[in-house]
Amino acid sequence: MLEVLGFEFFRNALIAGVLASIACGIIGTYVVVRRMVSVSGGISHAAFGGIGLGYYFGIDPLLGAAGFTVATALGMGTLQLRARQQMDTLIGAVWAAGMAIGILFVYLTPGFAPDLFSYLFGNILLVPQGDILLMAALVAIIIAVVAFLYQELQAVTFDPDYAKVMCLPVERLSLLLLVLIALTVVMLIRVVGIILVIALLTLPAAISRLYTTRIWSMMLLAVVLGIIFTVAGIGLSYLANVPSGATIILVSTIAYAGALGIERLRQGT
Amino acid sequence: MSSVPVIEVEDLWVRLHGRDVLEGVSLAIHPNEFYAIIGPNGGGKTTLLRVILGLLPPSRGVVRILGSTEAAMRRFLGYVPQFRTFDFDYPITVREMVLSGRLGHITRLPRRYDEGDHARAEEALETMGIAGLADRQIRDLSGGEQQRVIIARALVGDPKVLLLDEPTVYVDAPTEAQFYEILDRLRDRMAIVLVTHDIGVIPEHVTRVACLNRRIYTHDSSEITADMLEAAYHCPVDLIAHGVPHRVLSEHSREE
Repeated sequence: MLEVLGFEFFRNALIAGVLASIACGIIGTYVVVRRMVSVSGGISHAAFGGIGLGYYFGIDPLLGAAGFTVATALGMGTLQLRARQQMDTLIGAVWAAGMAIGILFVYLTPGFAPDLFSYLFGNILLVPQGDILLMAALVAIIIAVVAFLYQELQAVTFDPDYAKVMCLPVERLSLLLLVLIALTVVMLIRVVGIILVIALLTLPAAISRLYTTRIWSMMLLAVVLGIIFTVAGIGLSYLANVPSGATIILVSTIAYAGALGIERLRQGT
Repeated sequence: MSSVPVIEVEDLWVRLHGRDVLEGVSLAIHPNEFYAIIGPNGGGKTTLLRVILGLLPPSRGVVRILGSTEAAMRRFLGYVPQFRTFDFDYPITVREMVLSGRLGHITRLPRRYDEGDHARAEEALETMGIAGLADRQIRDLSGGEQQRVIIARALVGDPKVLLLDEPTVYVDAPTEAQFYEILDRLRDRMAIVLVTHDIGVIPEHVTRVACLNRRIYTHDSSEITADMLEAAYHCPVDLIAHGVPHRVLSEHSREE
């Protein structure tokens, strides 16, 4: 098994998995505590629209996805702040519309879209060097922003009304958080694909929530768990010769179910 | 009372979902006052507080805090929201939550708590008798303890006025008695505004009572007498105290 580490593609896969886990642990923590799982699902599926546009206009599909998801996140956030009602309907509409735009533009693009499936289901074993640099830059941005605005983001995700009374820029901070979610989603597309993004974004943080008492400790444990899940998933998928994205998600889900079960037993006694 | 009112509301109108929730509400709350606003559920009490706190823009009218309409003046308000308006499962310790009440006073970026902030947090924890719980998770506390944390967070910002929205809805009777003792101790440090639908809870030391049901009806009174409580029942609405319905009595004049 270890000789596979000699291959550059495998080392790249592990680096990509670790980078994605860092972003997931940090941003996923906010998603879980602020209960933004469905918003994040909407944003991630809208990313497919960006990938379709990328194909159609001949730019890097991931770049298209980045632009499109950030725009979608800002649009949804603005609507959420203006009209509070029917957010779940809105999420459903964005979710489906994003996919629909993607399908249309992929169809309209002449020729065959060879790696379309890797965007939907991820293929971490095919991450190019350039994407790793992009992911590293995004992780650095996420860490810097969260370190700088830790108190503000905690106040806004805990009690937005009180944050507003304290004159914090609640609207801008909420939009910033959505943009960070969008960027994290784009990073995860390479690793597990659009359809499975939501699981990797939320499961490590949800497990971490069971054992931690602070935002920063929840982030730290979620990052560690994410790294364990992705590395284990990549290894297992290599050994069994099955898709890596799905393996990572199944490892995470089984761990989550196990953690919940243990927690129940502990509270039962 | 010649000093500047801590809160001054002038001819406030709020329209929500095509319905007037507040109509021409005016009131002035002076330092050292203990002001009770009572009224039925849906009478606009929470709406009035939200407008004062800057969480809801009014259709018409102005709110002045210490004589100024600037948003930054809100840092002089201590807010105790209706219990359970936020998520008690959030991973945050008592100390962190109380400290967060200082954020309105920190303008330097990045916002970090200094020794002064920590000292004030300790003081607020002591005042509320929860210093021993500082490192606990808020979800592990009892209802009464959680409420003390919420008040401590409001106190840590050195407010000129403490706004309490239905503060005793979720606490049991002994906790409620302790709660009013605490308010009595805070009285000489700040004005207090207590909003409630239950006129049975109006404590003895209230200096003024207003009834709010879309419009506001005020009762001037510097001492607490049976008359005043009775006046409170004169609201042109059915108020319910301790489960006993009171019939509508005579209408009385609206504050202009």
